[in-house]
Amino acid sequence: MKKTYPLGKTLGRLVQNAWKQNKRLFAYFGVYTLTAAVYPMLGVALPKLVLGELTGSAPSAERLCWIVAGFFLAAGAVGFLKTSMYFGSYHKLGLLRLEYLRDMLNKNLTMRYCNTEDAKFYDEHERAMNAANSNDNGIEGVYHALFETPAVLLTVLVYVVFIGLKSLWILAALLLHVAAVFWVNRETHAFRHSLRTEIGHAERRVNYYAETANDFSFGKDVRLYGFKQRILNNFKQEIDAYAAIIARVKQREFLLGFAALATLLLSDVATYGILVRDVVEGMPIADFSMYLAAVLSLSAQLKILAEKAGTVYSEGEYVYDFFSFMDEDLGERGGTHPAIAGDTLEIEFKNVSFKYPRTEKYIFKNLDFTIHKGERLAIVGVNGAGKSTLVKLMTGMFEPTEGEILINGTPIGKFDKKALYSMFSIVFQDVNVLAYTVLENVSCHAEGDRARAMDALDRVGLGKKVRAYPKGLDQTLLKIIEEDGTDLSGGEAQKLAIARALYKNANMVIMDEPTAALDALAEAEIYENFASLVAGKTAVYISHRLASTRFCDHIALFDGSGLAEYGTHDTLMALGGKYYEMFTVQGKYYSENPGEVRA
Amino acid sequence: MRQWKKITLFFSIVWRISHTYVLLMLASVLLVGAQVLLNVLLPKFLIDELTGALRGTYLLLYAGAIVGSNLIIALLNNAIKRWLDVKRDYVDNMMRRVMAEKVMKVEFGCLEKPEYLDLKERALFAFTNQSAVKQMIENTAQFLQSVVTVAATLAVMLTLSPVLVLLLLLCVAANLFAYSRVMRDQLKFYENLIPFNRKYGYYVNIGFHNEIQKDVRLYDMSGMISGRVTDYGREISGECDGFYQKMGRFMSVNGMLNDLQSALTYGYAGLRVLGAVFGKMPISLGSLTMYVSAAASFTKAATDAGTSAVTIAAMLGYLEPFLQFMSLPEESDLGGSLPFPETVESIRFEHVSFRYPGSETLVLRDVSFEIRGGEKISIVGLNGAGKTTLVKLISRLYRPTEGRILLNGVDIFEYEHSAYLASIAAVFQDYKLFAFSIDENITGCRPGSDLVGTGAVIHRVGLNEKMAELDEGVYSMLGKSYDENGVELSGGERQKIAIARALYKNAPVIILDEPTSALDPLAEAEIYENFNSLIGDKTAIYISHRMSSSVFCDRILLLDGGTVSDFDTHAALMEKTDGLYYKLFNAQAENYRVEG
Repeated sequence: MKKTYPLGKTLGRLVQNAWKQNKRLFAYFGVYTLTAAVYPMLGVALPKLVLGELTGSAPSAERLCWIVAGFFLAAGAVGFLKTSMYFGSYHKLGLLRLEYLRDMLNKNLTMRYCNTEDAKFYDEHERAMNAANSNDNGIEGVYHALFETPAVLLTVLVYVVFIGLKSLWILAALLLHVAAVFWVNRETHAFRHSLRTEIGHAERRVNYYAETANDFSFGKDVRLYGFKQRILNNFKQEIDAYAAIIARVKQREFLLGFAALATLLLSDVATYGILVRDVVEGMPIADFSMYLAAVLSLSAQLKILAEKAGTVYSEGEYVYDFFSFMDEDLGERGGTHPAIAGDTLEIEFKNVSFKYPRTEKYIFKNLDFTIHKGERLAIVGVNGAGKSTLVKLMTGMFEPTEGEILINGTPIGKFDKKALYSMFSIVFQDVNVLAYTVLENVSCHAEGDRARAMDALDRVGLGKKVRAYPKGLDQTLLKIIEEDGTDLSGGEAQKLAIARALYKNANMVIMDEPTAALDALAEAEIYENFASLVAGKTAVYISHRLASTRFCDHIALFDGSGLAEYGTHDTLMALGGKYYEMFTVQGKYYSENPGEVRA
Repeated sequence: MRQWKKITLFFSIVWRISHTYVLLMLASVLLVGAQVLLNVLLPKFLIDELTGALRGTYLLLYAGAIVGSNLIIALLNNAIKRWLDVKRDYVDNMMRRVMAEKVMKVEFGCLEKPEYLDLKERALFAFTNQSAVKQMIENTAQFLQSVVTVAATLAVMLTLSPVLVLLLLLCVAANLFAYSRVMRDQLKFYENLIPFNRKYGYYVNIGFHNEIQKDVRLYDMSGMISGRVTDYGREISGECDGFYQKMGRFMSVNGMLNDLQSALTYGYAGLRVLGAVFGKMPISLGSLTMYVSAAASFTKAATDAGTSAVTIAAMLGYLEPFLQFMSLPEESDLGGSLPFPETVESIRFEHVSFRYPGSETLVLRDVSFEIRGGEKISIVGLNGAGKTTLVKLISRLYRPTEGRILLNGVDIFEYEHSAYLASIAAVFQDYKLFAFSIDENITGCRPGSDLVGTGAVIHRVGLNEKMAELDEGVYSMLGKSYDENGVELSGGERQKIAIARALYKNAPVIILDEPTSALDPLAEAEIYENFNSLIGDKTAIYISHRMSSSVFCDRILLLDGGTVSDFDTHAALMEKTDGLYYKLFNAQAENYRVEG
């Protein structure tokens, strides 16, 4: 836990941002603070005036009516203003949060890619990333507290002077009690904080079960393998474990609470003792009522003040984390070289070694190889040989640990990252269809080119289907946003991803296992179209289906230790190495005489 | 009354989860009632004594009673709070477990209907984003507390003057009238906000979703995502603006009516102190204090009752999907009582047609065929031909729309549900593993319950070397989502565990749906070569886009557009050179012809 953080600076920045976004809030704030500070005092004045009149030398019904009417007018007016200001600003403060949330989202969408694959990165920045996620905590919590606290503070100051002038003992006992309550809260909070690893751990486990057991896609396996009871038992265990930790915190709070109770007793004894004594010694009963009301009111306001101040301080730390995160330069590191125009790419790996950040194991060591301009290269290999990592390296999503990668002779680091990304059309194995329109899913922008999108869809064989949708290109996909949205089958989703790549029409094409979910004819269709899809461009086709090698110029075979074999199909077959072995193994069931194989 | 039904259903679930919790809630309600009465009654005696005889002992007694009751009530409050807080989290989590239990018990068909997926998402949204369970319970307690307080304070004030009570009730009635109008707006607002919140949440979530970050960068999609977030943020803002303005106006008027109630009480009680009003006896200053404090409690409680009632109604709106989900039919209702037979002699489809619930199109049309016991068949067809649907029907995850599926001549729905499921081992293409230990994933029982059996299947799928590499072997936890020391296995390794799980089940019928899609050629070949020995004499159904896999099956069921277009051996089908099977096979085989 950080000992201190710049509270003033953090709050200052929050206020400045609010000023930039909504100046009217400050007018609301001013009026609210004044009226909210005065309002509770009216409630204390009323009994004093009424009782004073009743116990005075010549009580008058008429004056009594005026007092009461005056109170109603004053309280009504002040209260009206106070409440209007409060409700007029409450949700506006909430909307400020949405701006912060969007900034955080943009940060996440544009920061260096490698961070997004780093679970540790998210763990470390969890507090910052959650600061804009809730109504009551983090940014919005602090905004609400900042809005409301000054009024409470004003009221408290007035009461403190007022009661202090009457009796310092009452004031002291009261302050002691409130301090004790505050201390109990702080201690409980600190204790909870000291258990945060345990609590986080237990929470995560409860959440795992809540998510898994409620996940429909687990339904088949749960039923067929009888996992239900096992999951429910484990789930219950985790819930109990979590409850046991919380019970420790609550038990601590309960025990500490006795300190608060002791001071409550002290404060009550002082208040009633002194006030009763004073009445016996001649103080008017009206003053008794007034002071009693004032003490009760101060006690309540002080507790609110302590709570709000606590919120500002402890939640402010999350806000500080948020600001620090936003200030950190997480943008893509790149140069200024623009995208290559009007030419396809040549990619050269020079003595490249790579391991993922925070890991020990090298995926490649001293890799040297070139993807030549205009060639079609098949990259094949066993699971885990680093085929997908290769893609992340040549597109600049990750930087080599050692060595360098050149694109058309220029070191990859010299390219502007956006320019670099713009040069690749990639189809990944996992297709992410989003709840946007077909046009947006293909063009990846709010305003896509309709003709170009339709053309891309036609080329992958989805054109007919899309034209048949009631809204055509403007049909929303998935049912999560629009109830009449359309779900795509696995094969269609795959084709959509290819259409996306075609629409982009970048300098170079990379396909990473695009046919895993497709049937033989659809697969063959993609194989056949591959040449036209990539016409004139450098293209890389990654697959563990060796059939893909038939329509490629060269084959690069990766095994667990890097590039093992490189050449044309014929040379590699003649070589009789790993490629030969894999090809014959995969192909043997397709041989004309399967009977032999079964033996 | 429908609202009432929802409330009773909700609380019957809470009651089942924890009796203590509900009882503690009721205790806290009573405690608040007691506190209000003591606060109203006790000061009267003290003030009467102070304005009267000023007897020392009595002053001490009355002041002592106030101080003492404050202390005791604070202590009881602390104690109840201590247990309630723990139980509240517990109940909140247990609600998710209740939901989970239902998800695991509900008829499987529901799980693949988008509308139920949506219903579940909305139910969970209410739990996680709106803390609907906590809010529902707390507001119900608040409501009961307010009602108790209103009753107690009304009783006190009636002893002063029915007329005053009438006036105060008029104020409350005015408030309620205004409130009922705002309440409608408020409920409508909450209702309107639900879809906006969901949409907003969806786009924010995809923005933070790790899987799509590659696409976002390569296809420059950040603008498209944050644009949607901005749009929906604006819509939410617009919804809020209008509503909060109305709410502010109402709350201001409400506050003024409350001030009016104070003024009325002080005025009336003051006049009563001064002398006989309306022919009544004068009252003491102590009584005045008592009545005004009763009136203050009354006003506050009446307002609280209103707000909590609205919150309850709003929360019921949020909880509705949950309650609806809880009343879906369960699988155990599907019936069947026959024990599963010793040996499987045949599985026969008789004119089976099937459409997914809520869909118009038939996925399978008049399908009839028979698999003999111990036979190994392969189902082949294009995407969307109905292959996976067919094995889902055999697995009894759905009921055929028309026709019957017979096992040993008996409709499969005649067999006892759990016995039937125990006799089918299926690896679906979207198989799931749990973040349990590896052996737990295989056996479905406690870790270490059958190391010999687990070891055997692990060996058979070729994972023993991998297990030896892991520090904790088969006790290793899968994935990091549950245990940060868990191991991440590759797609191929995970697929092998899924196959091992099916083998371990040792069921007479085994179904493998695309079991090798994530495996590299060598691993795939390994599974193929061992297929027959893996399966033994079980009845096996195999689905794969790798046409090569059908070569080692006894017969091939060829599906085309939801109908059976052929059912024969590989050799026979290859002779039909104009058939779909020949075409499919050659489409892939062509790429593997080794010249020379």
